Amino acid sequence: MAQMKSANVRLEKLNKHYHRVVAVEDVSLAIEPGSMVALLGPSGCGKTTCLRMIAGLVQPSSGEIFINEQRVTRVPVHKRNIGMLFQNYALFPHMTVAENIAFGLDMRGVGKADAGKRVTGALDLVQLGKFSDRFPSQLSGGQQQRVALARALVIEPAMLLLDEPLGALDKGLRESMQVELRALQRRLGLTTVMVTHDQDEALTMADRIVVMRDGRLEQVGGATEIYQKPASRFVATFLGASNLFSGKIETRDGAGALVAVAEGFGLLVDGLSNEAREATVSVRPEAIVVEPLGNGAPRTEVPNSVVATIDQVVYRGFINHYYLKLPGGSEIIAYQQNRTSEGASSFAPGDKVIARWDASSNHVLPNG
Amino acid sequence: MSGRLEGVGAWVLYCVTAAMMIFILAPLLVVMSVSVSDSYFVTFPPQGFTLSWYAKVLQDRDFLDALQLSAVLAFSTTMGSLLLGVPAAFALVRGSFLGQSFLKSLVLSPLVFPALVTGLALLQLLSSFGSGDARLNLLIGHIVVTAPYVVRTVVSSLQLMDINLEEAARTLGASRMKTFWRVTLPQIAPGVAAGSLFAFMVSFDNYPISMWLANSEYSPVPLVLMRQLVNVFDPSVPAMSTIIILLAVVGVLILERLVGLRRAVAI
Repeated sequence: MAQMKSANVRLEKLNKHYHRVVAVEDVSLAIEPGSMVALLGPSGCGKTTCLRMIAGLVQPSSGEIFINEQRVTRVPVHKRNIGMLFQNYALFPHMTVAENIAFGLDMRGVGKADAGKRVTGALDLVQLGKFSDRFPSQLSGGQQQRVALARALVIEPAMLLLDEPLGALDKGLRESMQVELRALQRRLGLTTVMVTHDQDEALTMADRIVVMRDGRLEQVGGATEIYQKPASRFVATFLGASNLFSGKIETRDGAGALVAVAEGFGLLVDGLSNEAREATVSVRPEAIVVEPLGNGAPRTEVPNSVVATIDQVVYRGFINHYYLKLPGGSEIIAYQQNRTSEGASSFAPGDKVIARWDASSNHVLPNG
Repeated sequence: MSGRLEGVGAWVLYCVTAAMMIFILAPLLVVMSVSVSDSYFVTFPPQGFTLSWYAKVLQDRDFLDALQLSAVLAFSTTMGSLLLGVPAAFALVRGSFLGQSFLKSLVLSPLVFPALVTGLALLQLLSSFGSGDARLNLLIGHIVVTAPYVVRTVVSSLQLMDINLEEAARTLGASRMKTFWRVTLPQIAPGVAAGSLFAFMVSFDNYPISMWLANSEYSPVPLVLMRQLVNVFDPSVPAMSTIIILLAVVGVLILERLVGLRRAVAI
């Protein structure tokens, strides 16, 4: 299949409310041609409504949608030329695989001979050439989603929309489909927006991740940026686990400062705004090193370290999860990699340890 | 506990089911057996065997005219019910408007109200409009009582249908109309067929509405049957009934065949 013309998409102050319930609020977003963007968030955050507004299946209450700088807000769904994948595949049960794929071509008045060739091409693209005469019910879930993909791609859409496309597949198949779908999207250079509540899926597949919460955009950025520099408490805990500490800023040295947190130790941070007097800091569990306490008095005055008690050890194969109780009673979590030569865990519940980490792992949440 | 029926309880239920079948079918079998009775009176058990009553009935102008009228009427009623019922069902399921659930129950009201009253009301209404054509009046009256069956069966098939199928068709470039013909209709075909069958049969043997709206020139089968019954109760009445029963059975089988086949392909 030929390289497709990639569209750029722009959402401008999109709002959608149902009666008085706000589903999407003030969403503005620019999507680069050929990129894959994941709308990520818990259920009810408005991500699906956003996707359906781009598709034209939901009419926004206000705001505009542009595809290739053409305003399409009032263009009906069947004239938008958008390929869409549904979670339950939505294959027409009364049509064969080939008829399903030919449907969109038929609607566009493509001649029989040409359509036949394009259907074959699309089937080859998803490696289902032998299945053209089967009915959807005779295929497995993964195969059905491939047919749905072929059906969406054969019309050479301006963009592809994926609504939790792999949600109904089991884990192994889902992961291999993620990689495959991503490779295909890259090869075709097709602008793609996907909706998911699965952070791994977003991290694996997307160039840019849009984290949504309560109908609003919480943070937009690349996978590394979102993971390493979360903008808020919500993002820090929704994408992976985070240990959050809040405290007063004690001493300052330009943008750098020492934050005295409630748990009774100090954190060296930088990137603070001048007016800030308090800060919330996120530390990823994998940044924390757990060490035996050793002899002598614990040196609590060293920043970015704290004496803790092992509360629970969860063996997860290549890593251990340590749940640590701090002096104040709060709990933090640390991930420690298991090297093959070592035992399962060097610590047991009740052990006193020092948890310490590098100052560079302290990330101040800009939005608290 | 498994969901399967077992033991004594199962046998009790089987017996109840069998008794119910006999209860439903026995009267029909009695009528059918009497229709071949070689006597001038309706007696059970039948005496001897003859097809002469059928020969008589099939030469009876009144009965044949009525049969033709009823067939045309039932067919037109079915078409009318579909034309009104399918769009109505679509609006009731896919739309969202004030009083939707109230309307959903209101639309079924002709099934609840006594047909006799509906018939009388229709007679008054239609004559106040000056509608004197008995055939048209019968058609209107029958559609009133049969359209709810279509609405009901189509509503339940629409509710069972995956709405994503329609949305998928729309994103692939199908207009609403095309989506309906190519995707929705094949999916709700069993409901449409069941509704049509109900509409046809209800119209075909309707008495309480037809009684008010028919005249001596245009009388559907049930009215002719009733008149015959009052005049001379000989085995020609069971013969007429048997013909109607057989026509109904053939109709159901044909429909089952058509829809059944389609469904086998779809599932």
